[in-house]
Order: sequence, then structure tokens, then C-alpha cells
Amino acid sequence: MSHLFRRFGRAFLEMPLVVKIALVWLVFIVGAAIYSRLDRILGQALPLQDPFYQPFLFGEAKPVEGPSSAHWLGTDILSRDNLSRLLHGSWVSLIVATTVVVFGLTVGGFIGAFVGYTRGKVETLTMATLDVILAFPPLVLLLALVAVYKVRNLTMIALVFGVLGIPTYVRIARASTLGVASREFVQAAEAIGTKRRAILFREIIPNIMPALFAYALINAGFVIVVEGTLSYLGLSVQIPEPTWGNMINEGRRDIRQTILPIFWPGLFLTLSVVSLNLVGDWLQQRVAVRSSAL
Amino acid sequence: MLAKVIAARTVRLIATLFAVSLLTFLMVEQLPGDPILAILPPEALDDLDNIERIRKELKLDDPVLTRYFRWVGDALQGDLGKSYITDQPVSDAIKDRIPVTLELAFLATLMAALLAIPIGAFSAYREGGYFDRAMSGFTTAALSIPGFLAGIFFIWLFTLKFNWLPSTGWNRITDKGLFANLKTAILPAGALALAPLAINARLIRADMIGTLKEDYVLSARAKGLRDRYILMRHALRPSSLTAITVFALQLGGLIGGTVVIETVFALPGLGTRLISGIYQRDVMMIQGITLFIATIYVVVNALVDILYVALDPRIRRQ
Repeated sequence: MSHLFRRFGRAFLEMPLVVKIALVWLVFIVGAAIYSRLDRILGQALPLQDPFYQPFLFGEAKPVEGPSSAHWLGTDILSRDNLSRLLHGSWVSLIVATTVVVFGLTVGGFIGAFVGYTRGKVETLTMATLDVILAFPPLVLLLALVAVYKVRNLTMIALVFGVLGIPTYVRIARASTLGVASREFVQAAEAIGTKRRAILFREIIPNIMPALFAYALINAGFVIVVEGTLSYLGLSVQIPEPTWGNMINEGRRDIRQTILPIFWPGLFLTLSVVSLNLVGDWLQQRVAVRSSAL
Repeated sequence: MLAKVIAARTVRLIATLFAVSLLTFLMVEQLPGDPILAILPPEALDDLDNIERIRKELKLDDPVLTRYFRWVGDALQGDLGKSYITDQPVSDAIKDRIPVTLELAFLATLMAALLAIPIGAFSAYREGGYFDRAMSGFTTAALSIPGFLAGIFFIWLFTLKFNWLPSTGWNRITDKGLFANLKTAILPAGALALAPLAINARLIRADMIGTLKEDYVLSARAKGLRDRYILMRHALRPSSLTAITVFALQLGGLIGGTVVIETVFALPGLGTRLISGIYQRDVMMIQGITLFIATIYVVVNALVDILYVALDPRIRRQ
């Protein structure tokens, strides 16, 4: 365990400054998202009530207040605290992005590695099926799907995103599997008679994971944008539950009075996506160097 | 060779279109319960005569596949059915609104292409310099900002702060002329162009950094040709093949991408009709427009594949 920490520590030190800042921002957002729900999970009040637990509060504050010591990022037109709603909104982005990444890495990664290693008719059929889903413009397919379902809660939205995200992961996993499967260490394992299933799990999958994970970070950024777009259109998780997208939508009506309720979620959204892209790009370059040295 | 590629790609195109239409149709079909519940908005469910009429009109008691083939058969003849909310034929709605969507997508592709070429070329020419680094920051930001956010920001900046341009509405070229039309189109097209612009600039930069190291560029320099001439004539030319195919691909993608931007700017395009159809649960409209957009997307992608082979002799020979 401690050597893992040391390896991570060394990797962190090697990062360029922007990537470090990006990583710190992501850790902050993930932490804030989890902490904002912790009181519901634990069923008791927690410290730091002030920034975290007043998202739906129609407080004594005046509407459209500027930043102050009581409301660090000001209030919106319904005198709700902007910061608190932002921190709560990060939960939706976190859950949707995490679901897509977990589905993609496990289901997508496995299917891709499996068909890429076994080849044959199963591969052709799988890839042809996935091509149909990839043939749709992603947002249009999502819109058509959420339009049909009447329930739009977080579980359902996360599941739709998770399932629709799988095809790209399969493609990437398959492509890297094709590269790995012809390497000497796989041939060596085959030559000494290792079972194909063991090769799949011990040789192939561990070697395609780093590239897939780097893609997953960049994909998570894309997912956050698409969920934000859906939220903005009012077709994702419903108000009063705050999401970055529906905060922007609500702020849109009051844009003449104040830009702040749009500016903050816009900033959080953009910073998170930039951060994911930066860390993902950095990881991708590292992986590329590593795999060429394999 | 080329004919063979075209034939193979066409077969795949038809298979994909078939599957895409089936999926679009089944998205509504797989709903549990009476399809009429999915088709009609809740407030229309009390009108039993109406329900009976629609059930007959739709021939809902036929098997799924029969209905699917009827829908596709009609679609091939340009009939995508009628909205059960407004009674408007879906194909009329598409015909009415596609010019706006096409113009936006086309304008955005054009802006992205024209701006990306000098940005990418100059970044490559001064690789690692101030301009290059500033542009790398800009492209990272442009790729991360959601289109609808950029649109809202443009509205805030150019309409509310400076009052230069209108924030909503659309002037048709045929009614008000090109200039008035561009005034309403430039902001949404600009918001739409940001992401492809960033991608193009990066692509052209990467491509040209490679090209600038080639021997023929060195010999052009040795001949004493001016840098700008070398950049545009000797270096850009070989890069343009990839660029053209990428631009065409983006045009297809942007036809779907305009959906949100049209809503932000309240433009009478295909996207706003799709969204309003979703709000009204207007199933025929959703199915029809989804199929239409997906078809354009798939056909453009197929054309790009063929174009790529046709343009690049190296691929053709393989």
C-alpha cells in the first residue's frame, strides 16, 4: 500500500503545475459533492452547515446579493445561496460521470478486450451493433431517449448515460487489444500453454487499462458537458434539486438583473471539464511513452 | 478500386440506416403499457373518441414489424406522419425549419475552418512561442466550454453589455436580405464554431509542424521564398486533405449540435422543434426529426469516407 502512495506521490511531483492545479480542483469538487450528501446518508447534521447545507433555503438574505461574508458567492433571485447550491449541484455531475466511467471501464473494457482477443464472428457482430448506436449524434439520441421516459431522476439519467457511453469504450479497448495481442509476452504466454481466459485477464486487460483510463477522464469531461446541456434544457434531474445545468437555466431568466447565478455554475462546469481534459491529456502522454517502451 | 469502395460503403450505409430507423422506432415501441399512453399527452387521454380515432389511424393493433415497415416505407416517400398535437405533417415541419439549421451548421463550419487555418499555421511556424502557447490555452478552454454556455455568454456580452447584436430571433435571407440575416446568425454560429475551431487549429498545427520539417520546405527556404508563401503554398497544401475531410465530418456533427444553440437563441430551426416536441411529448415529431438528423449524420459520414479515399491516392492504391 505504502509503495502505491509513493508511486502516486512521485507521479504527482512530475506533473506540470497546471495539471497539479487541475487535480487539486477535481479532488475539491469530488470531496464537496460527497460532503454535501453526507448528512442525508448519515442522517445527522454535520459541521460546516454554512457553505454546504443551505441549497434550498429561502433565507433572510436579500435576493441578488453580491458576494459577502455570509454568502461567499452571493445569492440568486430567490435569495438562495449560490455557493451552497453549486456544491450540491456537483453531486449530479459526479454521479453521472462516475457511472459512465465505471460502466465504460468494466463492461466496455471487458467486451472490447474479449472481442478483440477472440476475434471471429462475435467481434464482427458486436462491432456492427455498436456502430448503429455510434451512428446517432450523441445528444440527439439522448434527447430522444429521455423524451420517451417520463421519470427523470438521477438513477435513470445516470443509467441512460452509462449504457450509451459503453460503445466508445468497447471500440478503444478493442483497438488497444489488437495491438497488445500481437506482442511477445502474449505470444510467450500462448506458447507455454496458458489458458486463453487467463491471458485475457492477466496479460491483455491490465495492459489496455491505462489507455482506457486516460480516455475515461476526457470522456468524463464530455459527459459533464452533455449532462449540463440536458439539465439546461430541463430534461435531466428536475428542479428544485440543483444541478449546474439547471442553475444556468434558472439564472437565464434573470440575466438582466445579475449574471452571477449563471457565471458561477458556468465557471465550475468549465473548470471541471478543463481539469479533466488536462489530467487526461497528461495521462495519455505518459501512457503513450510507457507503451512504446513495453 | 474506387468503385469497389463506394459499393462497399453504400451497402454498409444502407444497413446502418435500416438499423438506425429500427432503433428510432423501437425507442417508442419498447415502452411498457399501451402505446397510446406514450403517444398522447396526459390531458388528451380523457377524449375516448379521439383515442379510438388515433388507434385506427395509426393501425396500432398491427404487429410491431408491420407498423415499422409501414413507417419506413412512408418515410422513404417523404411522409413521416403527422403530429398528434398540432396535426402538422412532420415532413412539413422539417422542410420549414431545415434552412435555419443548415445555415447555422454551414456558417459554423466555415468560421471554424477559415479561422483555424491561420491560427494553426502560425502556431506551427512559431512552435513553442508566445502565440503558440496562448493558442494552446485558448483551444483547451474552447474545447471545455459547453456550447450553450458560450451562447449565453455571447448574448450577455454582445447584447446586454454592448448592445451590438440581437440576442434572439431570426431574419430570413429571402425576407430581409443577407446582412440582416447574418446579424441574427453570427452569434449562434460563433458559439457553435468554438469547439470545431479548437479541434481544427490543433490538427492543422500538428500536421504543419510535421510538414515544416520536410526537405522540400527546406529547399523552398533555400531558394529564398518568403515564409508566408512557403506556409500557405508548400506546407498547407499537403495538410489540406485531412482538413477537408475533418471539416465535412464536422458539418454532419453540427447539424445535431445546433439543437441546443437554437434553443438558447430561440431560433426557428429543427432543434427547437425537436425540443418543443419533447416538451409536448409529440412522439411522431420526435421520431421523425430524430430519424432525419441521424440520416443526415450517417450519410455525411459515409460521403466523407468515400471522399477521403477519392482524394488521397495513397489510400486508393492500398
